[in-house]
Amino acid sequence: MKSMYKLQTNLLRVIVYASSVILLVVTLVPIWLLLVNATRSTTEIQQSLSILPSVHLVENYRILLSKGIDMLHGISNSMFVAVGSTLVTVYFSLLTAYGIVVYDFKGKQLFSNFVIVLVMIPMQLSIIGFYQYMSKLGLTDTYASLILPLIANAGGVFFGKQYLESMVITELIDAARIDGASEIGIFHRIMLPMAVPGAVTLGIFAFVAAWNNFFNAFILITSFDKYTLPMLVKTLRGDVYRTEYGAIYLGLAITIVPILIVYAIFSRYIVSGIAMGAIKE
Amino acid sequence: MNHSSAKWNRHGYLFITPFILGFLVFGLYPVFNTLALSFTDTTIMSGEASFIGLKNFQRLFADDFFMKAVRNTWMIWILNFIPQIGIAMLLSIWYTSARLRIKAVGVWRAIFYLPNLLMPAAVARLFFSLFSFYGPVNQFAVQAGILSEAMHFLQDVTATRGLVVFIQWWMWFGQTIIIIMAGMTAIPIHLYEAAMVDGASGMQMFRRITLPLLKPILIFIFVTSLVGGMQMFDIPYMLTDGRGSPVYSIMTNNILMYSKFSSSKGHLGAASSVGVLNFIMTTLCALGIFYFLRDKE
Repeated sequence: MKSMYKLQTNLLRVIVYASSVILLVVTLVPIWLLLVNATRSTTEIQQSLSILPSVHLVENYRILLSKGIDMLHGISNSMFVAVGSTLVTVYFSLLTAYGIVVYDFKGKQLFSNFVIVLVMIPMQLSIIGFYQYMSKLGLTDTYASLILPLIANAGGVFFGKQYLESMVITELIDAARIDGASEIGIFHRIMLPMAVPGAVTLGIFAFVAAWNNFFNAFILITSFDKYTLPMLVKTLRGDVYRTEYGAIYLGLAITIVPILIVYAIFSRYIVSGIAMGAIKE
Repeated sequence: MNHSSAKWNRHGYLFITPFILGFLVFGLYPVFNTLALSFTDTTIMSGEASFIGLKNFQRLFADDFFMKAVRNTWMIWILNFIPQIGIAMLLSIWYTSARLRIKAVGVWRAIFYLPNLLMPAAVARLFFSLFSFYGPVNQFAVQAGILSEAMHFLQDVTATRGLVVFIQWWMWFGQTIIIIMAGMTAIPIHLYEAAMVDGASGMQMFRRITLPLLKPILIFIFVTSLVGGMQMFDIPYMLTDGRGSPVYSIMTNNILMYSKFSSSKGHLGAASSVGVLNFIMTTLCALGIFYFLRDKE
């Protein structure tokens, strides 16, 4: 009876590990092929399938440049948008969340519920009205139109609220008040430094979201000089590049490698952050 | 919370003011502007526009494209959501099982989550290359004898739709595992111990303890996935020609909205009407799920 139970347990374990390995292969093979093909020449790619890298990385980059695709310029554009978005999201989300967590004002519960409802409302669908409004203000084709709306980032506030509720220490705030610190001063000089782990997690999500954002940039940014990486990826689809497989794979790999590096360093923050954004109290 | 500091509480308004202003200027006003535009024939070029009532909406329902886009969007979302939640649930049960004690769970799920961080536009372009006529998938399938000759995957309706569904699943199942596992490990262990003393089976414990306590999290996953799914754009747009080819089989609501916006005249009015209908449909469904499924207290 007992050995039967043990046998069943072991059998189930084999099934679990086998399924996990299959999913692992399915997850990693497309990414691996992307990285490998970025180093192979178009001829090699067309001739055969390989899971080993080759030596044509620099040549592929030259082809991209010769077709007018300057990935480094795209990286610096994307970096500017992503860093700006991250700073705005982290600062204003924590500021708003701090207001909800620390103070007991009239309408606080209403506001807090409103933020949760906003998380569930597809605000992106008002992009056309947003576009026309921005063009009236002369803000189309500027990065401000991508960054400023993040002042009111409902998801960021929700995350910040979950995080601050677990770490705000009332006694510390009271002590600072006795010392004569202003309320905003307490937030800047005491809470923000304490909230760094949460800010980093929120910042990573904000960075990745901005880095990957195609739709808004695609609608709002028009001059080629200001194209972010996903928009350059779109131009890689044109007929001119259709036959340059190696260069296309390299262009795609360049958009993905920075994210792979960020994930390799911060995966712990990221995985724990996902759960925090979803679980209430 | 702060009974000792009631006199400070008014400061709370100062802290939330930037959010409220930001929301009014960049959130609420664009929504109203989109609504207003949807009743006009505004184009990008035209300075003045005239009020045309519900004409934009009548046109949407008169031709087949809008309903086709709605059907495609729902179909792609549902077909990806079912395996996504199913596989995530199964793996979460296995990975949190005290009986199985699976090793390196943290590593497995960290890897499964990886695709979620990648740029959707690049991912779609990657799968376009992988599944192209001379691409690696055809090379492999022909060499392994699965296909007798290379296939034009992206000219086939079923294959193309299936690929969009697969990419969506590929990008999201890892995140769903992490959220469900966090919910499962938050359930107090003594509930299971008590049930075991009473002689409950594994299936009974799952249905009576795990599922009910997991409900808020499942609703969260359901609603956020639905809202995201209804706005699906990058992957179907970048996978084929940007118009939902072959034969509009992967044309989603947002692709239709974009194609009105980017048409030669730039029909802001017509594009807005697509956004407005999608907004209403998504919001009603999301709030509906939230209110009907949550615990009534």
